[in-house]
Amino acid sequence: MFPMKKRTLTLSWVMKKMYHDRMYYLMFLPVFVFALLFCYLPMVGVLLAFFDFTPFKFKFVGLANFMDLFFGIRSVNFWRSVYNTLFLSLSNLALGTILAVSIALLLNEIEQKKFKAFVQSVLYLPHFLSWVVVASIFTIILSPQGGLINNIFAFLGKERIYFLAEEKWWTPIYLFVSRWKETGWGTIIYLAALSGINPELYEAAEIDGAGKWKQALYITLPSLLPTIIIVFVLNLGKVLNIFESVFVLMNPNVLKVSDVVSVFAYRTGIQQANYGMGTAIGLFKSLIGMSLVLITNKINERIRGSSIF
Amino acid sequence: MTHGFLKNKHYLARDMFRICNGLFMCLLLILMLIPLLKVFADSLDRSAVYGLTLWPRNPSLEAYRVIVSNKNLYRPLLVSIFTTVTGTLLGLLITTLAAYVLIQKDLIGRGFFSKFIFITMIFNGGLVPTFLVLKNLGMTNTLWAVLLPASVNAFNIFLMKNFFDQIPTSLFESAEIDGASPPQVFFMIVLPLSAAALASIGLFFAVQYWNEFFAYVMYVSKPELYNFQVKLRELILNEQNLNDPTIIGYGNMVKNASVVVTVIPFLFIYPFAQRYFIQGVTVGAVKE
Repeated sequence: MFPMKKRTLTLSWVMKKMYHDRMYYLMFLPVFVFALLFCYLPMVGVLLAFFDFTPFKFKFVGLANFMDLFFGIRSVNFWRSVYNTLFLSLSNLALGTILAVSIALLLNEIEQKKFKAFVQSVLYLPHFLSWVVVASIFTIILSPQGGLINNIFAFLGKERIYFLAEEKWWTPIYLFVSRWKETGWGTIIYLAALSGINPELYEAAEIDGAGKWKQALYITLPSLLPTIIIVFVLNLGKVLNIFESVFVLMNPNVLKVSDVVSVFAYRTGIQQANYGMGTAIGLFKSLIGMSLVLITNKINERIRGSSIF
Repeated sequence: MTHGFLKNKHYLARDMFRICNGLFMCLLLILMLIPLLKVFADSLDRSAVYGLTLWPRNPSLEAYRVIVSNKNLYRPLLVSIFTTVTGTLLGLLITTLAAYVLIQKDLIGRGFFSKFIFITMIFNGGLVPTFLVLKNLGMTNTLWAVLLPASVNAFNIFLMKNFFDQIPTSLFESAEIDGASPPQVFFMIVLPLSAAALASIGLFFAVQYWNEFFAYVMYVSKPELYNFQVKLRELILNEQNLNDPTIIGYGNMVKNASVVVTVIPFLFIYPFAQRYFIQGVTVGAVKE
């Protein structure tokens, strides 16, 4: 035990204390080194956004990469990917919130404990399956060569459809598959919030003659609102990060509706080895993501008078 | 009289709601389970085309025999098992060590360490700079790129710290008075008292490493290092892969069976481990 005399906060005391605690610093070393290498070094790397950097060239070009992205030859594909990213993730977020809250409310009304637990287990399950597995399952089921859905179509005498290769089908399928995978997991936090509502509120409402419907409207939903807002804001920051889910479901036929910013950055920066440009796309993405979080947090502050950070 | 009638009507509405709610839940169950059941059934079905049934019409275990006897398929499975076991142990070691240092209240620099980890949660350099760092470290096209970066997970570290915070400090103090060094306290007291936390976070790591795909897309393109996820993806995408003489003719079965093989280990532990997963989430959510 090292004597903690706060008054004698001298250099020699600090040195002695740190020497005494040297084992702790040693134990922190692995995480320190790893975070430095894999998290902090890449942060410095964002400076590459201002360079024309390919395996053959390395030259400072200022904002040229961004000019090219916003207004130049890449701008059509770039803005398309921005639009797709925002459209896909915002619909996913809105749909996800509505579905998770509704399902949590309905689950909460089930009185048979075992049935409820079983439904919950099944709903949570796909969250743990990888996107590769989920995409594989749905690719098989939606396959034009004998997938379950097309077999039903054929059985009903309808034309077979190559769902994942048609632009008008791809977006709804992406949203459905995302919700199939993640909605159940999304209910956990709302179920936890529901179990925290004071039951006396319901008792009082019942005495006042409020039916179940009114109770849900005037007690349950307002009590859930803070949780809904927090989850929404936290997810809004991740809105631009969609990569894997899109990557495993997309194919060249539907690039127009499925190309998103991260995939565009990957294609440009890694597949085409245009490192400077790829970094610029990534930096744009992080900046937008951060401002989204700050803006929504501000709005939240205005409305509810409290910040979540 | 009116009152009694209203009351009956009230109960009737309640019962109707219960029935509808139950039916809705059953519908939800069907929607969740049919895709999984269909893939499982077809993995056992020798028929050339998929049918409409949810059970195999020509039952056979042939596809699974192909997976365990074809080097191109069992090798990725072994890589998956290896990276999952190594990665989980590495991740747990890194996480517990960091969390143990973060609970040392009077350690000089503790605040800095905590921020140092927290920042990695908010900012990241993006795909390309991370790729370039790993490339310059010579880690691309090696399993290091799969194992090391994923082992540092700020969320897991803070979760573990929350668990460690619940251990009574008197236990550490008495051990220190007895002359135990920090590593001794860590291995003899902290770890043995944290079985539930280790299970919970260990499972997070295991699922993460078993499901790893992103790291392969980014950093590893050597087929002999592929894990089963990447192989499964390849099977689903390319019919050409199925030209392999040992797979030909079993194409659809092998695809379905590969999905099942990727999911089965998880399905075995899930019923017993579910509470550990949820425990991790709710602890994190409450503290957030």
